[in-house]
Amino acid sequence: MSKVQSLSSLHEPIEKAPLEVQQIIRNVLKIEKDRLDKNELGRINEDILKIVKEAVQ
Amino acid sequence: MKLISIKLFNFRCFYQQTPEIVLARLDDRNITIMHGNNGTGKTSLLNAFTWALYEKFTSAFGDSDQLVNRQAIAESQLNQPVECWAEVLFEHDGKRYRVRRLTRAYKLANNGEKNIQYNKSELFLQVAGDDGRWVTQNHPEAVINGILPKSLHQYFFFDGERIEQIVRSDNRNEIAEATKKLLGVQVLDNAIKHLKEARKSLEDELKNIGDAQTKTLILQKQKLESDSAECELRIKEIEQELDAQNQLKVSCNQRLTELGGIDEIQKRREALEQQERENRSNLRGLKNQLKTDISTKGYSVFLTSAIADFRGLVEGLHERGELPADIKQTFVVDLLERRKCICGAALHDGSPNYEQVKSWLEKAGLADVETATLKLEGFVDEVEKQATDFWQGIDTKQSSINHLKTAISRLELELETISEQLRKSPIEDIRLMQTRLDEIDRKVEDLTLEKGKKLQKWTDYQGQIENLQKQIKSSKQNEGKQRLAQKRIDAAQQAIDLLSELKANRNELFRKQLETRICEIFSQISFKAQTPRLSEKYELSLVETVAGQEVQSGASTGENQILSLSFIGSIIDRVREWSKSGLVMGPDSSTFPMVMDSPFGSLDEIYRRQVARLIPQLANQLVVMVSKTQWRVEVAEEMTPRVGKEYVFVFNSNKPDTQTDDIVLYGKNYPLVRKSAYEYEYTEVLEVNHG
Repeated sequence: MSKVQSLSSLHEPIEKAPLEVQQIIRNVLKIEKDRLDKNELGRINEDILKIVKEAVQ
Repeated sequence: MKLISIKLFNFRCFYQQTPEIVLARLDDRNITIMHGNNGTGKTSLLNAFTWALYEKFTSAFGDSDQLVNRQAIAESQLNQPVECWAEVLFEHDGKRYRVRRLTRAYKLANNGEKNIQYNKSELFLQVAGDDGRWVTQNHPEAVINGILPKSLHQYFFFDGERIEQIVRSDNRNEIAEATKKLLGVQVLDNAIKHLKEARKSLEDELKNIGDAQTKTLILQKQKLESDSAECELRIKEIEQELDAQNQLKVSCNQRLTELGGIDEIQKRREALEQQERENRSNLRGLKNQLKTDISTKGYSVFLTSAIADFRGLVEGLHERGELPADIKQTFVVDLLERRKCICGAALHDGSPNYEQVKSWLEKAGLADVETATLKLEGFVDEVEKQATDFWQGIDTKQSSINHLKTAISRLELELETISEQLRKSPIEDIRLMQTRLDEIDRKVEDLTLEKGKKLQKWTDYQGQIENLQKQIKSSKQNEGKQRLAQKRIDAAQQAIDLLSELKANRNELFRKQLETRICEIFSQISFKAQTPRLSEKYELSLVETVAGQEVQSGASTGENQILSLSFIGSIIDRVREWSKSGLVMGPDSSTFPMVMDSPFGSLDEIYRRQVARLIPQLANQLVVMVSKTQWRVEVAEEMTPRVGKEYVFVFNSNKPDTQTDDIVLYGKNYPLVRKSAYEYEYTEVLEVNHG
């Protein structure tokens, strides 16, 4: 049984997360979406690491 | 995805190139109708879409490996390629895409189908952005898949007579996966996967930083500092005690002098002690000089072999006549440039004189070697002299040291003789005083020894403290790095957990909303009290309530067709809704086409009317292929207000006794079957004029 009953409450757990975690999620999803749009299949680890390191300093 | 047009070339019954079949795509007029009799190319058109975009065919499409028009093959030369292609133009997310799939057939002999070779198809994709410039894209399959997944294609391009197969499909998991793909779940999957990899890298970084032991190191340093302080205190105490003992010795000596009778002996002793002190001071000085000489000049004695090698090399150069180089390179170059030798002879290019002078260039090249050799020889001479001076200096100092050591031994012996003499003095006070002096000497000796040991220990402590200080500094930096790395690992993990939770919640919520929508659409069409159910595995079924209990309901082919259409319509509707709410993470998925061949196959009149009314509202764009009998009153009534484009497939038959057929549209007669003007049969596409 899903804890979420509506579209509006879907993102609530993320909105309640610490700001740096929200920043990581936002930026990682953006980069992944861009990659999928451009059909890029190369390595991404460095970019993701950079996002985490920039968010948490 | 919004379809703009389709063009065919030698594709099945379409001989040569068709006109561009432009499709209706206005919001209020989004239906395109293709009229055609059975076997005149309606199913071929549906399959032209699925072949071009996905290299797939519907189950009703026979001989799918023989796509190339037969007449085109018949007319071709042996072993010459006959091209066949389908080109689909569509727009998506503000961009236009041109997809062309092409295949070639080769006639290998003139005796029928069996001697035709069909090649593998090739796919080309071009994209035009805002500037209208067409750019060819790599990985065309992946681009199309990102817009409308291949695994979902049968829900958008389908044969209406067989649509109930969707409900009976064994590939439930495929439906679930394809739906998730439409919602952009792949973005979430990739984000989670890549964040996990990043977390692993951060954990490796943490491992490499090493253990932070700042506290232990500080404790060790504090202990050493305390020991060092104790040591320092003891050295001060010893120094004070030594001062006191030396004072005592002075007093004892004064007392001895005062006792009388031994003035001469005492004076002699003082003089000897003075000499001993001076000699010892000189000895220390000489030893220090010796150390300095060894550390600053000692290296020269190890260069003997290298110097010999160098001299050997120089000697070789001289023996071969390469040194001295008595001519400069610039001088030779000048002569060659002026084309004149110093003897006045002309130096023309290639002449014997020119070549001879030119040969001096090689010899002249050694002038640099000569300069370097001269410099090195000076240095080598200096080093050799230094080695000789070094040995002499060492010998002299060593000899002085030996001399001083002998002198000190002699003085010690003489002083010991005096002490012994006083120890045996007939005067008791003198004997006692000498004994006292002996005790003081022993005490001084012990204290000096202890001071030396303590000084050594203190020096060691300082070294260890300095070393620990460095370790503490580095450990403190590591602690900071460790805290940061751990914080980053925790944040990455939190992001992974939240994204996983989001993914699970999205999937569940979407499935529930999808089921609700299927029920709504199904109930709008069906007059039966059946309710569709969509399981967690995306299994579609119909249930009915019997005595308050839900039981599986048997469904007819027509009901299954409605259920399938409800399912397709619901997917389109929900994905479009989610896309509007910004919840779709993949490419924009708010626009869907639906291309249906014979959409009302097994449906009764009442169902046909309901479906004809509902489907154009669900899909953004509808392309419907109908036969004259399928385009019935109720269907035409419901759809006509939304029809934007209409075409007739005219079949030109080469049969001698062709039975012609027509259709009247908007008061105008259009041929459906007519006699071919040629020997072969083919289908023509005519656009219907709406007036």
